[in-house]
Formats: sequence, structure tokens, C-alpha cells
Amino acid sequence: MSVETRQYGDLSTQLVLESRRSTATDTLLKYNDSLVRSIIREQRDLERAAAPLLLQAAAAAEDDEDNAQPPPPALMILQTAILRNKRCLLAYHHHRTARLRDMYWTVGGALPHLLSDADTRSRLSPHEADYLRQYHDSVMEYRADLGTSELDIMAGIEKPVNDLNVLVKVKKECGVIETELGTIDFRKGQRFMVRRADIEHLIVQGYLEELG
Amino acid sequence: MDDWELEYDRTYGAGSGPTGNPDSAGPSSFEHGHHAPDDGLDIDELMAPVGFQGGNNGVASAEETPVQQLIRLWMNERHAPDILPVQEHLLAGILDHIRRQSEAIQLLRSDPSSSEEEHFRITLVQTEVERIKFIVRSYLRTRLFKIEKYARYITSDPDIQTRISASERAYASKQAQILDQHFWVTVLQSLPESQAHLDDTPLFTPSMITKPDKSRAVFVHALQPCPPVQLPDGSTLEMDKGHISLLPFYVVEHLVLRGEVELV
Repeated sequence: MSVETRQYGDLSTQLVLESRRSTATDTLLKYNDSLVRSIIREQRDLERAAAPLLLQAAAAAEDDEDNAQPPPPALMILQTAILRNKRCLLAYHHHRTARLRDMYWTVGGALPHLLSDADTRSRLSPHEADYLRQYHDSVMEYRADLGTSELDIMAGIEKPVNDLNVLVKVKKECGVIETELGTIDFRKGQRFMVRRADIEHLIVQGYLEELG
Repeated sequence: MDDWELEYDRTYGAGSGPTGNPDSAGPSSFEHGHHAPDDGLDIDELMAPVGFQGGNNGVASAEETPVQQLIRLWMNERHAPDILPVQEHLLAGILDHIRRQSEAIQLLRSDPSSSEEEHFRITLVQTEVERIKFIVRSYLRTRLFKIEKYARYITSDPDIQTRISASERAYASKQAQILDQHFWVTVLQSLPESQAHLDDTPLFTPSMITKPDKSRAVFVHALQPCPPVQLPDGSTLEMDKGHISLLPFYVVEHLVLRGEVELV
């Protein structure tokens, strides 16, 4: 379809389609900056097109107060397009923030881990990285408010604990970790039987793999 | 303090060795001899089998242990579309108890005079403490999830604010604020001024503020005979004890709040 025959709202349909695709494939797609910009440009054009009609309608209403005319149909169409585009833009960003929050909790709130991952980082807009930082601050505030060192709300809630100890295999070097059994230097390929609570976050972040 | 020692004696010493065979003893087959005084839960309660309580538990809260209450609270919260009232008192009691149990465990583990069998029991208690922590965590996180989802609604609705704790309120307003800010920097600030607001109310489109959908269907399990409720089609339904129904949440909301039914 050429640019000339494009309808109002086609672009935002594309944008919302991306959100749907993201849900269907359960991945965070790359932030579509150029499409967002095009829609914002379309919004400005629509606004410019609507402005004279608005003035006209206002003038008509003033001239003829008793015999009020309905607003011209062209204005209705422009305004509907404006509202729809805006809603689609917001929906796209909202959907992405929800995905970001999911990702945040999946790695157990390890924000540096999330942001230092080049692949993830390339898909985020700078504003989204900011959003995650603020989100992290907010969760940390809540955790501090809770005021208990016993209960870590960041730990997994996927499945309840069956065993205190867990057999793990080291997937990535993660250096020396303090555990209940003393300090352990985790080196790639080694296996350890360790207290789950001590290393749960390392499993979540992919340093260790749970065996059996 | 010797507090933990007393507690230890009370839980382990008093019983006549209920775990004869450590190999076959698991949390659910652990026999529990006595019931705790009402100062909180103790190890026996932590070890009591979880899930559905026996059928003859008529007036719920009177005979229920804190852990059973916690489990029901957690299940209700997980199933309800709306945010249920927070039970700060119960939660504080349980957190407090987890802390005391953990301290006792630490001391007992480092006590050289503990026997093999005692060590085995310590492991069981530790596991059970971890499991209770799991439930508390899941409960709090479920609430956080809903609060994030409805953050803007919560900040504008005084009624729902009474149902959440102070730290949850702070969390809600912070969430609403950072989401608004994110919308502003990504979308709204680039739009013409007349479009840069978050309070559009055009016809035939959903509101910009997401509200809990109270018409969502939930499975309801009656814990006691319930007064009749009015169904959406105008007829009434009177649930007997043990009755299970699939109903819109708003129909049974008041029964959930009064603890006459639970969501399953």
C-alpha cells in the first residue's frame, strides 16, 4: 500500500499488532521507535487538519445559538482518529511496561543483571531502562518497609519448596559466594549440594542450574 | 533468653517420640500431639498437613490455626479479581513466629549436644518454615501484582485504600506516578497540547483507568450455611455448607469478606 492511500490509524494498528505478536510469542520485541514517531507525526497532522474545522464549528455555534448545528462530519472523523491513535500509543507502551515488570521478577529483581544483558538492552528504549530503574527503587522501598530480614519477597514463587538443599551445576562463573556451609568458590562445571535459600538467586539468574 | 529452649521442650520434649521411624516421617505424616496455646503457631502447627481442612470445621475462625487462616487468605487473594482487605495482624504474627523459629533453629543446630534424631527434626521444621515463607511471599506478591495493575484506580478511590496496608499505599502511588511519567516522556509530551492528557472519556471506549473486574466468575466453596444471594438473572441461591458454585465475584463478595465462603 502506498503512502498516499494510507488511512488514518493504519500505523497504530501496526503498533498494536506488535503488542499482540509479543504476547503470542512471549517475547519482548525491539522498541519500535520509528513507528511511534510516525504516529506522533500523524497526530500533529490530524490536529492541524482539525483546528480550522473546530474554529468553524465554534463560530457557527456562536452565530446561531438557537439553531445549533451538529459538528461537521469531517471533524468527527478526525477526532476519532486522534483518540484512537493516542489510545494505541498508550496501549503499546503499557503492554511493554507489563512485560518489563514480568522480566524483572523472573530474574528475581536483579536489575543490573537485566540491564547488562546486551540482547535485552538492545530491545529497550532509554526511557524503558529508566522506567525499570524507578520500578526497582519502588520495589526496594516496599521491601524495606516490610522490615523483615527473614522473608525475601524477591525469591521465586513458581513452586513451593520441597527440599532445603539442592544439587546444582555451575553454568557460569560467579565467584566466591557466602553460604551457610562456608564460602564456596563456584567454578564452571562443578557440582555442589547447597542450601537452596543461599543460592536461589543464582539459579534464577542462570549462573547455576538445578539438577534432578 | 532461654525462650527458645522452653519452646523446644514444649514441642519436642513433651511428646513421647512421635517420630519412631525417621525414614518414613515426612511433614504430612508427622504426628502432632498437642495444640498450641493461642500465643501463636508452633512447630506442630507448622507441620500440620495443609490444604482443605476436615469437613467438620463449622465456624471457621474460632478453631483455625494461623497457618490455615493464612492459606485461606492466600487462596482467596489469588482467586479474587479485586484486592481483598489486608490482614496485617495475622501476617505480623506469622512473620514474628518465622523469625523466632529461625532463631531457635540456628541455636539448636549449633548445639553440639543435639542428637541425630533432633537434627532430623530440625530439618523438617526448617523445611516447613521455608514453605510457610513461600506462601507469605506468594500472598504479598499477588497483592503487589494487583496493586500495579490498578495503581491509578487505587490512588483515586478512597474505599480501596482502606483495604491495603500503608506500605502498599505508598507502593501504589509510586507505581501510578512512574507509569504516568513513563507515558509522559514516551508519548504525551510529543503530542499537541490538547491531546496530552490521560483523562479522555470518549463514548464506546473503555475507561483509561483500569478497574478490578468484579463480574469475573470465581469458584466458591461454602464453609457454613450462607444467607441467600441474588444471582444476576434475578433468582436467589442459598448455599449449604460444602456447596461449590461458579458465580460472579460481586455476588459473593460480602460472603468472602465475612469468611462464610472461600474461593477455590
